[in-house]
Amino acid sequence: MSPVTATVLWTVALLIAWLWRPRQAATPSGWILLGAFAALGAGALWFGLYAPEGEPAGLGFWKPTILYWTLAAIMIVVPWLGGGYPAKIILGTYFALSNRQWRWINRGLAAVCVIFGGVNLWVAHQSSLKDWEGFKYSLMIFLLVIVLFRLNFVWLPILADVCIYFYRRASAAYRYLSSRL
Amino acid sequence: MGKAMSAVERTPDHFARLIWADGRAEQVTLGATGRSGGAGEIFSVDGKPGFVAKIYHAATPAAHLARYRHKIQWMIEHRPELPQVPAEYRDIVQLAWPEALILRRSRFVGFLMQKIAFDRTFELDYLLNRRQAAEEGFDADYGKLVTVAFNLASLISCLHARGIAIVDLKPMNVKVYKAELYVSILDCDGFHIDTEEFRSEAPQVTPEYLAPEFHEKAVGHPESQDAFALAAIIFRLLNYGIHPFTGVASDPRNSPTELAGRIKHGLYPYGRIASKKVRKVPASVHEAFPEPLRELFDRAFASSGYSRPAAHEWVEALKAYASKQSGGISPCEKGHLRFSGRPCPTCMRDALIQGAEVRRRSFLARVQTAPARTLKYVQRTLRQTHSSPFQAALAQAQLIQLQLAPPAPISTRNAIALEILWIGGLLITWWWTR
Repeated sequence: MSPVTATVLWTVALLIAWLWRPRQAATPSGWILLGAFAALGAGALWFGLYAPEGEPAGLGFWKPTILYWTLAAIMIVVPWLGGGYPAKIILGTYFALSNRQWRWINRGLAAVCVIFGGVNLWVAHQSSLKDWEGFKYSLMIFLLVIVLFRLNFVWLPILADVCIYFYRRASAAYRYLSSRL
Repeated sequence: MGKAMSAVERTPDHFARLIWADGRAEQVTLGATGRSGGAGEIFSVDGKPGFVAKIYHAATPAAHLARYRHKIQWMIEHRPELPQVPAEYRDIVQLAWPEALILRRSRFVGFLMQKIAFDRTFELDYLLNRRQAAEEGFDADYGKLVTVAFNLASLISCLHARGIAIVDLKPMNVKVYKAELYVSILDCDGFHIDTEEFRSEAPQVTPEYLAPEFHEKAVGHPESQDAFALAAIIFRLLNYGIHPFTGVASDPRNSPTELAGRIKHGLYPYGRIASKKVRKVPASVHEAFPEPLRELFDRAFASSGYSRPAAHEWVEALKAYASKQSGGISPCEKGHLRFSGRPCPTCMRDALIQGAEVRRRSFLARVQTAPARTLKYVQRTLRQTHSSPFQAALAQAQLIQLQLAPPAPISTRNAIALEILWIGGLLITWWWTR
């Protein structure tokens, strides 16, 4: 994909997201996660698409660690400052749990992120390149799990809503055209 | 080619004259065997079944032939004393040493040497792979392997005592007598000789058996080179063919992958203080070697060339295990031979291989049955027909505790806007973790 096409795509996507954004107030943890991902996304776009010399040589080994430790820092610091549980933003769409349960889930996720970030560095420096690649792809199973959860609990209901919306519009159009003929 | 050059079709080129050590001349007829190497071709000699002739290739430059003649002449006149063999093994050829010059039309073309009985021997290479050895009818055990190693070290020690070094010592150049366990070294005309009256270089080397100090430079100390190659061969003999510098690189970007590079950098992972840059091969049984041998291996591979054990040190160290009377080798509980007081290497190896095989089969079986087991679990959960109380309790707990969140009070457009951000977040996560 050329940088121009990519720029058009992410600009249009962000524009739609801005125009259709919910007007309810977001929690501080939501804003902080959004800010962190905006910074990480800017880095990804710069090094992945626009930087004339591509990624810096040493960045490859640090990338997963930067991501996991950033998430871990947010999940540890934000609840401590009274900004809510970031884990609730990530998983809260699916399950209804008590605050105590969210606190422990948040701590668990933070610990997992700390460990993943550290293990990535250890594997990158102690194992072969092939093993490290395998390790990184095995970590992506968590992304797959999140995608599957999202697909089941959010995207399919949205798709159903969109289908119902278009079905109603088509029915209305049909009724209108039938009455005119 | 061998058939094409039968006795009937012999040309005058197949008639040659032998010049023995005492100056006696003899006319002989050569017959092609079809075997040839880098320097020459091997011929049978009519009327002399115990000998073969090595005739240098016709393209060999005259200057090289002159050097060969000088060297072969010296070798014929200075046959080294070899390790004593019992009287019943007198026909064993420990060295394919030149016995006579071969002239054709008064021009030096090669030399006569004792024939090594190929039906009674096999290459040492075969001993490095137990399956290959078994196919050759050789049941390898640690008693036999140590004896072969001892005989090889003894032979090299005798050569070194006469100022002769092999230099290009490698398993392919060594033959082993299957029943008698004595060894025979080929390509003697390529040896390095350094005596008061004669000196001859040996430029041929094999990087996988070349000592670290001689990589990318001439072999300055041939005996030290032989000591390195001998230690590597003994290590491989005792460790199921695993080369002492084979291993798994901890950091493949900064470690050489080929054996020659690892030798050069001294990346020996089997020492008592092992290299951190290369990890041992999991199937290695070096920990079952006795301490004196491990010390010698460490000196050979993990230290500088000055402290490398010479061939006679290997003879002394292996003597304790090569003799049945010494008790250095004894049977384990399963009847395998092992170094006395040490774990059985055969049992260790079997356990390592069987363990890996059991884990592999178990993993494959679990992978193959995973879809069916998952389907069954889901069906039982839905029908609440779990036979296992634990699984039933687990399914119940999941259904009770995991209550789905109520639908978000936002419009579809708002939900789509949030999902665009979510997908963006996933793409960003993917980029940072790939």
